[in-house]
Amino acid sequence: MVTASRAANPAGTTPPPGLQIVDGWKSFGHVAALRGATLTAHAGEVLAIVGDNGAGKSTLLKVLAGVHTLDTGAFTVGDRHVEKGDPRAMRDLGVATVFQDLAIVETLDIAANMFVGQPITTFGVFANRRAMLGEAAASLRQLGVRIPSVRVAAGELSGGQRQGVAIARAVRQNTPIILMDEPTAALGVRETAQVGRIIRDLREQGRTVIIVCHDLEFIFEVADRIQVLRLGRTQGVRRVAETSRSEIVALITGAQGADDAGEVVA
Amino acid sequence: MIQHPTTERPGGQAPPPTDVDSAATELSWLRRLVMSPSLALSVVIALFVLFGLTQTDQFANPQAWVNIVRVAIFIAIAASFTTIVLVSGGLDLSVGSVLVAGAMTAAALAEAGLPPLVAFTCGTLLGAGVGLVNGLLITYFSIPAIIVTLGSLFAVRSAVVAATQGNPIGPLPADFQAIGQGVVLGIPVPILIALVVVIIAHVLLSQSTYGWSVRAIGGNREAARNAGINVRRVSISVYVLSGASAAFTGALLAARLGSGSPTLGQGFELQVIAAAIIGGTSIAGSIGTVPGAVLGALLLSVLSNGLVLLKVDPTWQDFITGVVLVAAAGLDMFRRRQMFRMSAKRASRADRTA
Repeated sequence: MVTASRAANPAGTTPPPGLQIVDGWKSFGHVAALRGATLTAHAGEVLAIVGDNGAGKSTLLKVLAGVHTLDTGAFTVGDRHVEKGDPRAMRDLGVATVFQDLAIVETLDIAANMFVGQPITTFGVFANRRAMLGEAAASLRQLGVRIPSVRVAAGELSGGQRQGVAIARAVRQNTPIILMDEPTAALGVRETAQVGRIIRDLREQGRTVIIVCHDLEFIFEVADRIQVLRLGRTQGVRRVAETSRSEIVALITGAQGADDAGEVVA
Repeated sequence: MIQHPTTERPGGQAPPPTDVDSAATELSWLRRLVMSPSLALSVVIALFVLFGLTQTDQFANPQAWVNIVRVAIFIAIAASFTTIVLVSGGLDLSVGSVLVAGAMTAAALAEAGLPPLVAFTCGTLLGAGVGLVNGLLITYFSIPAIIVTLGSLFAVRSAVVAATQGNPIGPLPADFQAIGQGVVLGIPVPILIALVVVIIAHVLLSQSTYGWSVRAIGGNREAARNAGINVRRVSISVYVLSGASAAFTGALLAARLGSGSPTLGQGFELQVIAAAIIGGTSIAGSIGTVPGAVLGALLLSVLSNGLVLLKVDPTWQDFITGVVLVAAAGLDMFRRRQMFRMSAKRASRADRTA
């Protein structure tokens, strides 16, 4: 079967997969969250993962982020195999993640939050607060995230501001691949548009963005491709330009059957 | 609903640059006093001393102050590292027993003729070992810290009593005692040692990347793990540091007293935790400073000595300590609430001015 993405690159110039999972399985006790899921994200595209509750979206994203380890299945970043989930190792491989609501340490100020786990250091052991305050302010300003001051505790921020800080933290790391779990959840209209703008900017810089999202309207605005998960398996992958909202909904609900092999061949 | 004053710009125009500068948020003098535990504590200590001076001139006696500081430093050394444990979201109740283990080990080795440095080092390492066991049990077996360290509080004390058959060790050699009783530049040596240890703890917690990891873990374990911090290693290390500091305190106490007794340090863990909490450390983790803990230790010492100078019935001393402790914890809760209420105000103001 000729896949949609190959059709879009008739000259056969498909860029190498940035990130790939083949036949991924993951269970939590008796609950099988992923049952042979596949995923391919190309360099420089925005891939949206959609699906009903319990389809395995968040689990898949957490595998990509290094929080969970696949029980079985192949997971590669570039040409590197990922054996065991480890957030730090994934970051070293070039993957930064915006977690849905686990990202913020409320008692730390915004600058400290932007650098949790990877502080700017002096002599390797001392935290360089001044540099972190400056850089945090700079990257937030660049993204247009509105906060009172980088010295304010993150617990004092509104939901939209927290999301902004979490995204800014991932963007700041300058990794080729960025994962976002529900980046627009709990955001107002204007903040959602702002997140959309940030995602498009990232793509223009040639970065790969993978978002898990419920908001189909938002996805059709920012994504290049949509991957539909259903019951832990890949139900289908569509290019945004070549599909419709009703087809995606049909895939989500199972009204339209799963594609064999899906997008893996690409 | 109130009309939102912001004019929505159509066309997804970028909002104007807003102030995300590192400018400190301005606070009134009174609010700063409430929001900074160290400042509030300094004021309380000062007021108590001023009151004491009006009652008896004993408060102006330098020797009284040497005694006050001498008591305070032992609490302060251990409380500095208890603060680090609390900031990481943990709890160490074994401090009193680890103290006596460190004291007796150092005393026994010194009595056997080993140099004081070796005795101190071995005692401290023993404490670090107990801390390591605590940390491993807490992180790898997921047994609550309060249970594990309560267990070692019992077990270690019992082991010490059994090993010494309940007998004190001493008198100790002069070179060992010199560490606890010597005077350099007119200042007692233990005070100088305590100063160094406390400064190390302060730099570790407030300036080092390690300290920021500890704070992150205490604030949100999950986020810290996802951010790539080795949560287990850091969690274990705070108990190792706590154990080492408690045992070192014990060795220093033995040197100060000139002998080691298996009854040393009973209830010491509670004084240490009280000092940390009075100093503004939050039992809920992530918030707390070493200078606060030192001031907390000083307050406990000033109270216990001061009440004697004021000829208050000594049976009431612990009552007052208890009241101060609960007041400090209440102030912490108030502070947290204030912080988040100010936040809501500031966030909405930022929305409006943008």
